[in-house]
Amino acid sequence: MSNSVGSRSKVNISLTVNGEPKTLSVYPMERLLDVLRLDLGLTGAKEGCGEGECGSCSVLMDGMLVNSCLVPVLQSAGSNIVTIEGLQAGETLHALQQAFLDCGGAQCGICTPGMILAASHLLSAIPEPTSEEIREGLAGNLCRCTGYSQIVEAVAEAARRRMTP
Amino acid sequence: MGAVCHTLSRICTPGRAANFEIRMNSARIVGKSVPRKEGRDKVTGKSHYVDDMVLPNMLFGATVRSQIPRGRIKKISFAAGINWDEFVIVSAKDIPGKNCISLIGDDQPCLANEIVSHPEEPILLLAHPDRHCLAKAVQAVEIEYEPWLAIFTIEESEHRSETVWGNDNVFKTYVIEKGDVDSIWAKADFIVEAEYTTGAQEQLYIENNGMIAAFDADKGITVWGSLQCPYYIHKALMALCNLPAEKVRVVQMETGGAFGGKEEYPSIIAAHAALLAIKSGRPVKLVYDRMEDMAATTKRHPSRTRHRTAVSKDGKILGGEIEFTIDGGAYLTLSPVVLSRGAIHAGGPYYWPSIRILAKAVATNAPPHGAFRGFGAPQSLFAMERHMDRIAQVVGLSPTEVRRRNFLQPGETTTTEQIVREQIDLKKLLDRALHISEYQEKKLRFTKENQHGNIRKGMGIAAFLHGAGFTGSGERYLSSVVGVEGCADGNVCVLVSSTEFGQGTKTILSQIAAEALGLPYESVCLAQADTMEVPNSGPTVASRTAMVVGKLVQSAALGIRQTLISSNLLRESYSLDEFRRACKQYVKEHGEFRSWSRYEPPTGVFWDDEKYRGEAYAAYAWAVYVAEVTIDLTTYSVSVDDFVALQEVGKVLHPLLAEGQVVGGVAQAIGFALYEKVVWQNGRMQNSQMTNYIMPTASDLPPIRVFFEELGNVYGAYGAKGIGELPMDGPAPAIVNAIEDALGVSFDSIPLLPEDIMDRLNANGMALASQENGGGGR
Amino acid sequence: MRSNPSDYELAAPGNLQAIVSLIGSEPGKWLPIAGGTDVMVQYAAGKLPALKLLNIWNLPELRRIEVSADEIRIGAGSTYTDLRKNSIVENEFPLLASAARWTGGIANQNRGTIGGNIVNASPAADSLPALLVYDADLILVSVRGERRVTYASFHTGYKKTLLAQDELVKAVCLPRRFSEYFAYARKVGARKAQAIAKVCIAAAGRVVNGSAEDVRIALGSVAPVPLRLTGTEKTVNGKIISADLLRLARQTAAADIRPIDDIRSTARYRTAVAGNLVVEFLTRLNAEQASGDFREAKDVLTKWNALSRDEAIKTILPCCGSRAWAHGMASHRPLTDEAALLAASSDVWRSLTTSDWVEAFQSHPRIGESRAEQPPPAQSVEWSTQEQRAIADADAAVKKALADANREYERRFNRIFIVCAGGKSAGEILEILQRRLNNNADTELQEAAEQQRQITELRLRKWLQG
Repeated sequence: MSNSVGSRSKVNISLTVNGEPKTLSVYPMERLLDVLRLDLGLTGAKEGCGEGECGSCSVLMDGMLVNSCLVPVLQSAGSNIVTIEGLQAGETLHALQQAFLDCGGAQCGICTPGMILAASHLLSAIPEPTSEEIREGLAGNLCRCTGYSQIVEAVAEAARRRMTP
Repeated sequence: MGAVCHTLSRICTPGRAANFEIRMNSARIVGKSVPRKEGRDKVTGKSHYVDDMVLPNMLFGATVRSQIPRGRIKKISFAAGINWDEFVIVSAKDIPGKNCISLIGDDQPCLANEIVSHPEEPILLLAHPDRHCLAKAVQAVEIEYEPWLAIFTIEESEHRSETVWGNDNVFKTYVIEKGDVDSIWAKADFIVEAEYTTGAQEQLYIENNGMIAAFDADKGITVWGSLQCPYYIHKALMALCNLPAEKVRVVQMETGGAFGGKEEYPSIIAAHAALLAIKSGRPVKLVYDRMEDMAATTKRHPSRTRHRTAVSKDGKILGGEIEFTIDGGAYLTLSPVVLSRGAIHAGGPYYWPSIRILAKAVATNAPPHGAFRGFGAPQSLFAMERHMDRIAQVVGLSPTEVRRRNFLQPGETTTTEQIVREQIDLKKLLDRALHISEYQEKKLRFTKENQHGNIRKGMGIAAFLHGAGFTGSGERYLSSVVGVEGCADGNVCVLVSSTEFGQGTKTILSQIAAEALGLPYESVCLAQADTMEVPNSGPTVASRTAMVVGKLVQSAALGIRQTLISSNLLRESYSLDEFRRACKQYVKEHGEFRSWSRYEPPTGVFWDDEKYRGEAYAAYAWAVYVAEVTIDLTTYSVSVDDFVALQEVGKVLHPLLAEGQVVGGVAQAIGFALYEKVVWQNGRMQNSQMTNYIMPTASDLPPIRVFFEELGNVYGAYGAKGIGELPMDGPAPAIVNAIEDALGVSFDSIPLLPEDIMDRLNANGMALASQENGGGGR
Repeated sequence: MRSNPSDYELAAPGNLQAIVSLIGSEPGKWLPIAGGTDVMVQYAAGKLPALKLLNIWNLPELRRIEVSADEIRIGAGSTYTDLRKNSIVENEFPLLASAARWTGGIANQNRGTIGGNIVNASPAADSLPALLVYDADLILVSVRGERRVTYASFHTGYKKTLLAQDELVKAVCLPRRFSEYFAYARKVGARKAQAIAKVCIAAAGRVVNGSAEDVRIALGSVAPVPLRLTGTEKTVNGKIISADLLRLARQTAAADIRPIDDIRSTARYRTAVAGNLVVEFLTRLNAEQASGDFREAKDVLTKWNALSRDEAIKTILPCCGSRAWAHGMASHRPLTDEAALLAASSDVWRSLTTSDWVEAFQSHPRIGESRAEQPPPAQSVEWSTQEQRAIADADAAVKKALADANREYERRFNRIFIVCAGGKSAGEILEILQRRLNNNADTELQEAAEQQRQITELRLRKWLQG
């Protein structure tokens, strides 16, 4: 975090995004969401509401799920950001991504990046969640298409697959 | 456990194009849960929605909107403090063609010129290279109005204290008559009368409306955006920009949810983006934020339904009158069609010996209401299914028995005198739904449990139908065209203007073509919905894609096969490799290989547009839904704890997708019933943010259990009927019926919030406080 | 996004002293921003007048929780997730732990801070009633040093506080003297998660020699500030909690509060529900042992009686596996002792449907295996392991015979074999299984259900023992 007194000019911010170090020249109050989408071309995170209600802008910041529309980019300096683009290893999909495909977890797809990251965050805290725990963990991510059932199935399936290699 | 009733089937032939014999009937792709065509891009964040696209030299647009519901614009001034030279400013005067959004009528201006008719009506457009400069600029446009009196409810519109549209505030009326209604009242043992109302509902697609437009003097106007119906926009832009068909191009981007909210509305935002692009000579991106989208765009039509029914003492409907009225907002848009569908469905899946349905759509000074999944049917079916429970009470029958006695049977006629030709057995469907949901056992248990504590539980049912495709002569009028192309690489491409927005268009149409051609699913894809590349297969609405468009895809695909066979490039039975070779050869010889199919109305099917009588829809899907609810008397909150959705849908083309559609539709309808209230003030939505407009989260919904029956359908691809909208019709009345079962109190209006329940229980002396004071109660 | 980022400064001096200096030198000019869950919403809506923002996110001096013998000192920069993860908060300050769980969704809990909640001073804020109940003090800091104020005095009007223009909230101090108190919290929102409270309550108290003692009740969303219902507390303290007292408490509560109609709800709803919550609290308080000694064997049941309905269902579910059973048991509360608990369990079990029974069966692993079909709660897994210990120790031949017989059973009856295994040897279980293979479907269902009922009883007994 820089020690400089604020001004209406851009600042240099260094952070890691999907494992790659980045240095950006940005206004400190730009939203992390906009910086990811516009400066870094990582358009997976979406703006659904701009008020931290829908979760479609969710990313992982130092392993914590956050709504990137509510994070001033200055506050992400020095942190490790993971977006949906960083979830897979090369061509191999993450277990959650594959499970979403197999179980119908994505319909229109707009909530999907945030939903998958929220699920990933949930599974790192609770590797074998019950369906109540899944619903609670995803309660901050709104989906208008699926009614959630197939998303819950997908997360449970991903958990099962990871537990039984 | 309420797990969804669907066994995960193994995905068919992932990605292997091995050399194998394919016989026409043995490749069973239709009916299997194949991978979603565009699924991989969706789960990896690679899909491109309109706001993900950036064009060089692009400007950003914004809309200056009316702050009053009705009046005359006196003066527009541009405040100091903004460098207005940097902005592109568009007003009605800049419109090259006709200042209207061409749809059914031409009454809706693209930009208000002098008169405004609703809050949020667009007046001016601004564009600037820096999107961050726009909000302040919009605020700095000062508009002086001469405000006029405005009206906001159906009743105000009917009283005509102000005439805000036409001569009498009435957009459209329909009268549907069957039998001799006036003679039955004297014969009735009971006359059951009640009024039911439903509120506005916001579609709340998670991706807001957005468009990018670019103009070139030679090529004309191109727009890319979030949309359902490319050719609706195409038509609107031709009139607006005064351009011929070949100089207007509309391209659909990946679309993040629609539900009807992107059926007609996108023509407006496309028009705005186009005008800015034309004036500036640069591409313009116009994307709404959530607050603007909720306040300014279309919502479900609020409704009021009045039932008056003559019933015999054994619970049979002798006849009745239904007055069905919807609030269309300030302009015509699609209200006549919403009205039509609502009116036709108003009688539910029951036999009416006689009936008179008086339907009207009226104008108010709200932003125009529009298409939303169900399209009038959720409104009129809410009333019908609540009314059946009321009839049951009056006559002294159970809700299940009264329905049994009135269900339509094969051979009987609907309210529009359409003969039910298929062998649907609604009694059996009801029995199955009751069995799966353990309706009787639970009702018994709840009656006991409700004696003590502050929790009340109840069960409720709804039986209903939904007609697929356009009403009556609509499909003939649409005259949809579908193409299937044999490509130079030997693969197959489906050419339709039908769009994907989560419901699976790309997947099922690929399945159908692949099945028809005996090819693997992987060999077929859909072309991007680009009016320059695809024909007009009609709008992606009315639950018509699988049934109507799918059938055309099937026949166009068969045309490809037939052409190759009759050109002696292929035998009747062939392998994938053989097909590929033949296709490549044909393209080499002819340059292009396309097979077309145009909609032909089935023979022997009649519809009278004047009398509104006849075969309203080629096919109906039928359903019985069962809801289990819990009401906590401490907070008056209702939760839906179990939900069974059983429907007959012709043929399930893709089990996983079909189930997903039903669960999603039920979830939206639970929102319609219990959570989603639009708070209006002077015609403006006050709660236009997700914080205060409440849709259910994952924690609020139970696992929704989905079951299908398949009777087939001669008019649909592989026997399919439409299913997209059906799930919206049943849950609300089932839930309110369940609440009545739990509390013994009848509610006739949705959304039904805890505050409403508390008010009523208080009035009846049933709230906890009044019980303590020795008031009435169980 | 309706604001222009280039109009805004966000200063980040990086340590508390520098921050305090800065706002000391320019009082009222800087708006501190921690997790941003309020400020950034206003900003995006174009409704943030302040142009100079001061970053206080993740400052070590503010984001720490210190525990001493007498009090817990929660840094104002602690997030709701930090609160949820802290065992002292979880065990001794359950009202605050509940509030943290109910705030927003996981993403907002990871960023929202207790200090932000306090300074934003919304009367609807989830955690503030808990602070009132727990007699919180605040430590405020400025260039003039630190001062300690009671939280009760902090709110002076709607969104107005004691905070001077150059002050920050540094920490919240809670005295560690409430672990013996019965605690009750409930939030009433438009939906189960991500909702602003229409009414929320935090309450605690004791029953001593049959009478209510030191009852404290605080509500949110019923006044311009979070509110202690001092009138109601006076009415209740020192009295026996009778039906009459409950009626009186409801009336006094209605007089204590000043709710309004707003975009979310109505004044009369808030009044009615506030009354219901106060009555529910007092009723549950009353169900507690008069002596209030939490070390008695009965305290598991007493605690369970006092839980919210959802919590009670979740807690008891591992004993049986059927949600309908858990719901039914929750409806039977309060249950006074073991006999009543077991009687209710049998009653409820017998009234269930076949699919409820099957749901319970499916929560067990196959006899001899370790994983059930549906992942059950951890407690359930532990009990299953204990119950099937005899099998685990049996010899290979018996194990194989059991496995074969299990498969045969599943083929025949389409579900797993259920037997109350505790106290039986593997050989005995095999005999039972082989006998039951010959039952017809109806008889077998009844036998399996009876076995499950016995398993449930065993588990309930174990659960009571704590």
